[in-house]
Amino acid sequence: MVDNFSDEQKKGMEEMQDNLTADRHPLPRYKHIGGRGGRRLDGQPKASGQAEYTMDVILPGMLHLRFLDSPYPHAAVRSMDTSKAERLDGVRYVLRYDNPEMPEKASTGKFHGLYGDQPPLPGIAHFEGEPVGVAIAAETEAIAEEALTLVEVEWEERSFNLDPVKAREKDAPLSYPEMYPAGNFWNNGLFNELVLGDAKKGFHESERVMEFAFSRRGHTWIGPERPCGVFRWNGESPEVWVKQQRPHLVKKNLATWYGGIPMNSIQLHCLYQGASFGGWVQVPWNMGPLYCAGFVAKKTGRPVKYALTRREDFYGQSMDDGRYSLKVGFNRDGRINAVKGSSTMTNQLWPMFNIMGHFKENTSIPHLHGVTESVWVNKGPAVPTRCEMLPTSLCITMVFNRVAAECGLDPIEVALRNDGIEGHGTDHLAEERRNRGFSDVDSMKECVERGKKAFGWDAKWHAPGTRKLPNGRMHGVGFTWTHEWDDSLGTSEMAIRIERNDGTATILAMGCDNGVDAENTYCRIAADELGFRLEDVRYNPQIDPGFFRMSPDSSTNASVNGWAVRHAARIVKAQILQAAVSPTARTQRGSYRPAFPDCTPDDLDIEDSVIYRKSDPSQRMSLGDFVREAGQSGPISSSESAGYRWAFSEPLFAFGYQVQLGSYNPENPRPHFTRQAHFLEVEVDTETGGIFLTSVVNVNDVGKAMNPMSCEGQQYGGSIMGLSRGLFEEMIYDQATGVMLNGNLLDYKIATIKDVSCPIGTILVETGQGYGPYGSVGIGEDIGTVMTGILGPAVYNAIGVWIDDHPITPDKVLKALGKT
Amino acid sequence: MAKSGDISMFTCPYCSTQRENFEALREHILADHKGSLLPEPANRIRLLINGLEHAMNVEPEWTLYHLIHDRLGMTGSKQFCDRGACGSCTVIMDGLPVLSCMVLAIECDGRTIETVEGVARAGHPLIESYVKHHAMQCGYCTPGFVVTSKALLDRNPDPTEGEIREALSGNLCRCGTYPQHIVAVREAARTLLKEKEDSGGER
Repeated sequence: MVDNFSDEQKKGMEEMQDNLTADRHPLPRYKHIGGRGGRRLDGQPKASGQAEYTMDVILPGMLHLRFLDSPYPHAAVRSMDTSKAERLDGVRYVLRYDNPEMPEKASTGKFHGLYGDQPPLPGIAHFEGEPVGVAIAAETEAIAEEALTLVEVEWEERSFNLDPVKAREKDAPLSYPEMYPAGNFWNNGLFNELVLGDAKKGFHESERVMEFAFSRRGHTWIGPERPCGVFRWNGESPEVWVKQQRPHLVKKNLATWYGGIPMNSIQLHCLYQGASFGGWVQVPWNMGPLYCAGFVAKKTGRPVKYALTRREDFYGQSMDDGRYSLKVGFNRDGRINAVKGSSTMTNQLWPMFNIMGHFKENTSIPHLHGVTESVWVNKGPAVPTRCEMLPTSLCITMVFNRVAAECGLDPIEVALRNDGIEGHGTDHLAEERRNRGFSDVDSMKECVERGKKAFGWDAKWHAPGTRKLPNGRMHGVGFTWTHEWDDSLGTSEMAIRIERNDGTATILAMGCDNGVDAENTYCRIAADELGFRLEDVRYNPQIDPGFFRMSPDSSTNASVNGWAVRHAARIVKAQILQAAVSPTARTQRGSYRPAFPDCTPDDLDIEDSVIYRKSDPSQRMSLGDFVREAGQSGPISSSESAGYRWAFSEPLFAFGYQVQLGSYNPENPRPHFTRQAHFLEVEVDTETGGIFLTSVVNVNDVGKAMNPMSCEGQQYGGSIMGLSRGLFEEMIYDQATGVMLNGNLLDYKIATIKDVSCPIGTILVETGQGYGPYGSVGIGEDIGTVMTGILGPAVYNAIGVWIDDHPITPDKVLKALGKT
Repeated sequence: MAKSGDISMFTCPYCSTQRENFEALREHILADHKGSLLPEPANRIRLLINGLEHAMNVEPEWTLYHLIHDRLGMTGSKQFCDRGACGSCTVIMDGLPVLSCMVLAIECDGRTIETVEGVARAGHPLIESYVKHHAMQCGYCTPGFVVTSKALLDRNPDPTEGEIREALSGNLCRCGTYPQHIVAVREAARTLLKEKEDSGGER
């Protein structure tokens, strides 16, 4: 039946995969895409407590696995006595690091090799709190925890580093001698340099040159559901429940464990996910414990659940922890000629994003030189935590606002003056848009104008430190901007099946639910493409049908998956219309008349889940009547001569897939057209240092808002997370012992509903200039990232003094004002 | 009465006196101790959870959260922080919201408990307003918000925005859904007030 596609259809399907240009085959009209109606598929289960998470999984006979945490920031287990723990009632297995059956290394991360292959249960700890040495499985968590207290360890304490600058010094002790014996700085390629033009020349040509430095303290993701997993062996086949943002990664790694397991023997469950924001998703500290759970499950013949403690989860940190130094050459009109930046970060367990990255992708600044380097210290791993672009977003916020302040200009004016791409101005950007078939709308101007108006920027912005309010506080506003993230590289496979009896559609593909209501977005796409009612399309991503979508992956979700589900829907629709004009109920003795005789597929269409003849809509048939029932109760119960119409469509099923090269693939460079702009208003109490948020406006050019309520959720949600980081969040270590001092939610503050109580305005701009389907672009990752730094310029505008140590806490405000 | 040292199976578990046979022991217990045949163990508690009687033996270290989530399988209550800082495990006990991870189950004998499952089963309008207004993202903390909001509306049927914020200030949401909780709770309050008005004051 697929062969019956018209040449035009085939051409369209092939062209849809070209993500270097504008979408050439959008729908002529949208009914559900862009709509606000329709219930969240996950809404009722989540609100009523019925949604099941991996932490909720309780299996008969299940054991609980807990890990010993290193009390030292750098130490090796010299010897270990677990005999007392083994004798404790209720302890069922003690897994030691020196168990001869445990592999030296296993594939436990995203990448094989350097990052991915790690000991599942190490004997050496490289940060305080690292699970190390022994894991104990017991009948209850409490017994496992008690047993851990009975383990006697002789530690070999080692020297350690916490400060990246000191760790770079020649005689500094080695932080990770096993992985990096040559030094703490040389990280096998993690050093990242970006050069555009000639920065030296740019400074020479500038009227002013400014240098400044700032630091950002590491913070963490706080996924509400702790990292966990459940492992059960059904014979030789594992059945595994995972809290994992990337279930396909678990399956890939798992297939290499325990001597190798065929992929078709692995049964995976990826239930609702208590969020991870990137976090632990691809690092050994997550999958190593799952390896141990599977090992113990095999040894004991019982299901095993592991769950890291809340404190154990605290050690993973964001990628912006470090020191930043910037030199900027600019003219008095706000034109920036050159930026040179360097940053010294810690423990980057991921290919780093250069701190000049967004300057190159987003501005007309002709001369850039960025050096981002990572130094190993004895803290937890730094991984993308909404997200790896935190450092470059922070730098763009600081540079533009600093230049505006130096010139006495409105920072929005400076942003508009320097908008562009790879050193070229907005004219070049417009030409690129035209060449690629996009609309000729200036996204930046659109975002800024709408945001300024909604925020009341012109009335609120003022010279720094000049507006005292009647309540005695100082008033300030902040602005930042950059491009939307666009999509990254990856693949997505999604399928659609038309169900028997009622003709409803089921989308098939596994992916994690991270709360962005993505499932509803895919249903909207499928419904509009198929001509179905929204309630007739359903998607449960928690089952494993063998198709994996981006979920989200490489910063990408809908902009890749949207293509895949759209492809599948278009093929299924063609199948339905072809089947409707073809003989039905093909049997061994012949076939029966079509549902729509004397028609071609082009004569038909589908609307509201009903097939109809376009020239005579009274000729119509619901999908349910068309596909009919299956099995003995199906159509094979009467003869056509008796007046019954035989009807049994062939199975209607299709898959779609997308291989997306993405913006950050070096072979696929392409301009970022869509922009975002954010506005913040604060009041600062100069007596206490208290910072009070009074207004936020987020403007995002989403290209096409396929699910507007979901987009808005990412705007206000991202704002709150970003502002929480800007106001409160830092992991504090005792410098003498290397012990984290605030590894819990009492001492590590995140914003509550009272901390961010101001109105948050959300504006969606739709220029259609994204590379996703219908011109869409994802925004889930970027607002939380960009908003992290906006507090800096807002507080500066209030008090007239820069605070160069983030987060910006009341004590730092008072210090900046000379009051401490 | 039997002599001391006779077989212990006829020893009274209440007063340690002994009887010659089981029937005699039974008569003694019913007559002298006015109780059931065997004494209840010290770790026996009775709870009314979501309108249903529960009688259970609990270990002294069990929290109410552990009992509800792990033992009774009512997994709507969630553990986010593990130390009374996040509100995700909130249940209503005798009308007041409490953090079930901070309450020992053994101290809850005779209490009335309402969990998110009970709130949902009762058809409380909070559920639908939370769905409608996307007052959730990953959803892990959502049941805690719903339960806290339910307790608020029970004692304050028409709360102001500030009162809602105050009531929910002990509930953490990492996805940043806070603005929608205000909208959802306000709408649920309006629904309840209208229902009350329509029914002449009864609900």
